[in-house]
Amino acid sequence: MVKFLSEEWIEIGKNYILDRLDPIKDLKSITTSLLGVVEHIPPDDITMNFYLELEDGKLNDFIVNTGDTFEEKKATYEIRGNYGTYKSILMGEMSLGIAVLKNRLIVKGSKLQALKLIKPLDGVIVALKEITDEFEA
Amino acid sequence: MSSENVLEKLNSKYEETINIAKKGTHCGMCRFDFLGTGLCPSGKKHGFLAYWPQGRMQIFKNLMSGKVKPTKKLIEIVNSCSLCGICDKQCNFATQLRPEKVAKALKEYVEEIDKEELQNIPEDKNVIELRKIVGEEWATNDSIITSSYISSIIAPDSKFNFYIVMPKDAEELSKVIKYANSNNLPYLPRSGGTLLSMAAPTVLSNAFGLEKGIVIDLLRMNQLEIHPESQTATVGAGITAFELQKEAHKHKLRANVAEAGAHVCSNIASTGILSTWGNKYGWAADNFIDVETVDDEGNISYHSDLEIENPYTTEYGFTNISLVPPLIVTKVTTRLNPVYDDEEAVFVPFENIQDAIDLSFKIARRGMGFSNVILSRKYLAEFISPTPKIAEDFEYILEKYLKLNYAVDIICNSDEKKIIEGMVDYTIDKSTLKSLILGCPKLSTLKDSEFMKILSEEKDPLKAIFAGPMKEHFEKALDATPENISKIYDEDLQDFFKKAYSKPEMTNIIWLHEHRIFPSRLMRQRMFLPMGGVIWTEYEKNLLDWINMFIEVGDKNKLIHALGFISPFDQGRFACLEYDFYYDHNDPDAKKRVDNAIIESQEKSLQIDGILSALNFYFKGLYRKEHVLFPIAKAISDDDQELFRELLKNIIGEV
Repeated sequence: MVKFLSEEWIEIGKNYILDRLDPIKDLKSITTSLLGVVEHIPPDDITMNFYLELEDGKLNDFIVNTGDTFEEKKATYEIRGNYGTYKSILMGEMSLGIAVLKNRLIVKGSKLQALKLIKPLDGVIVALKEITDEFEA
Repeated sequence: MSSENVLEKLNSKYEETINIAKKGTHCGMCRFDFLGTGLCPSGKKHGFLAYWPQGRMQIFKNLMSGKVKPTKKLIEIVNSCSLCGICDKQCNFATQLRPEKVAKALKEYVEEIDKEELQNIPEDKNVIELRKIVGEEWATNDSIITSSYISSIIAPDSKFNFYIVMPKDAEELSKVIKYANSNNLPYLPRSGGTLLSMAAPTVLSNAFGLEKGIVIDLLRMNQLEIHPESQTATVGAGITAFELQKEAHKHKLRANVAEAGAHVCSNIASTGILSTWGNKYGWAADNFIDVETVDDEGNISYHSDLEIENPYTTEYGFTNISLVPPLIVTKVTTRLNPVYDDEEAVFVPFENIQDAIDLSFKIARRGMGFSNVILSRKYLAEFISPTPKIAEDFEYILEKYLKLNYAVDIICNSDEKKIIEGMVDYTIDKSTLKSLILGCPKLSTLKDSEFMKILSEEKDPLKAIFAGPMKEHFEKALDATPENISKIYDEDLQDFFKKAYSKPEMTNIIWLHEHRIFPSRLMRQRMFLPMGGVIWTEYEKNLLDWINMFIEVGDKNKLIHALGFISPFDQGRFACLEYDFYYDHNDPDAKKRVDNAIIESQEKSLQIDGILSALNFYFKGLYRKEHVLFPIAKAISDDDQELFRELLKNIIGEV
């Protein structure tokens, strides 16, 4: 188990998605890119971003950086929320769908299209759940 | 003695009061003065739900089930109640419960408890910081106080990982939200809490409730100013529909409001004030001139600001479901409407729903009437009858003998009344309606009478009794007086209710439509879940299919279920429909059945052309109705149906 958003988390996460998730069965052959913005990360109240790119259900790219902006790549969707919300999702306390519909995660782009991603993204979340159980207090 | 044994002993000792507490539904009728009794002094002073009768009932239920342990704060809560009896009068009118018995039992319980057992809940960092924002007495993490919010915003199975804060204005609220964000604390605002309490026992609990974090109770935002010159009112988030209407009325003005206990600001944000007056006064953004809001970053803004993005529009489509308001409304400048001297009530009874729809929509399309609604037999019986038993018998009589299944209920001016009377064979007049309100206990005793059997054999029993030679005898037989209706109440409350029912407004149909104190009776001693939504009246042919679908789902899940109302709005372009599933919120099996009914009826609603279902309707009240309702919704495709199922599963889990 590794700490959420750490270097190890990216590496293990990448490998987990590539090795364990079936592009067709689990990731529904989707082609999309998603920028997750994680705000208010304790203890220093920083913002981090993770960029996830899938093509036909295969992971193409997984990048994490720190800061208020992410300019390396342009994502189809941006999902913004605070650290507590991401933590709740990864700990299985809250579903991705509820987080979006309760405005805990703010979607930039078409909500309809974003909600269509929920099922395949659930696969990614399941993967990330498996590797993360360390969070900031 | 083990804690299980202690609980068992307490449950046996307090059986009667536990039963009362369990039947509480958080209808909120104890939090505003609708009978001229004054307000619960303790609740008024301390604000938190724990100090109001509904909160005491919830606390008692929690203590007796072992859900929460007594804290030192409980002594203060118990001592703040003077047993003045106001709650018994208010609650009895709406639910026939006696919350004062619960308050007494709570006092007795605290007197007997070993004071060493009382927990001391230490302040933590968050409560210290929140108190710096709202003041020492308006933020708490005490588990007894937080537990009083169970079933009205906090899910019944939640842990007590909550803070309750009561900001006094938008500035304080803004600071609370900024603090919550930077400390990763979820939050949710609460006003009257009835929508949340309807959802709490069901699968919708997690979707609508708060799982942990900060409950923001908006009750302290109690600004209320009427501006007769501009026919507007400035209304804070702590003000109920009844309080606004009462003040507006002093100036011969009327607000478009929801049920009496609904808070005006939160009702605007949630369902956009959907009332029977919508055909004339509008819906959603039609209702307000300006709103003061706080967003999820803690920014305060006004819809009148030139710099803000268009606040009136929303994404269209069936996936546009919101489980929270887009903004917290802290203050609204609402539109008021003139009250005319020649206003009249016209009540047209029908056996057949299609006839009722034809009349109601025709009147709406011609722009007639201030209020226009088709009330079901069930609503009529529940609203008018002071007890559940009388309601049951009354409904039986309406169905079996009178064949009154629906009533088109119009408030209009005197000219329109003449036109409407010309459109139908007969109407029920004011004097008969007054007789029905005061005489329903007597009517219910006629359930098995020969008189009713003879009447039912008439070709048109409604005409015979309401417009024929029997009218006078019928009214006489009802013996409709305040004294007689007061006899159904407990002996010690009879004098009070005799005086209450003697007030002209209690039998004034127009006043009752405006102040809406009767609908609270739908939540008496058991819960109901309103389903439905909006239908384009061009798709009127689908309206009956929609109703039949609800009937089928209700039957299949063995629920008590009935049409509530159909009300046209926007010159009859649309109609709102409410169909209700009733159930015992303390019965796990009933809960399961209502869960199935919610999901099934929600899914099936999307398969009918021209319908925007309830789940797509919630929290859209700040937008322009045109953005919510256009273009006309079509039945969704099989693929979208699959997506919707996934979405629903994701929101509420497997049932």
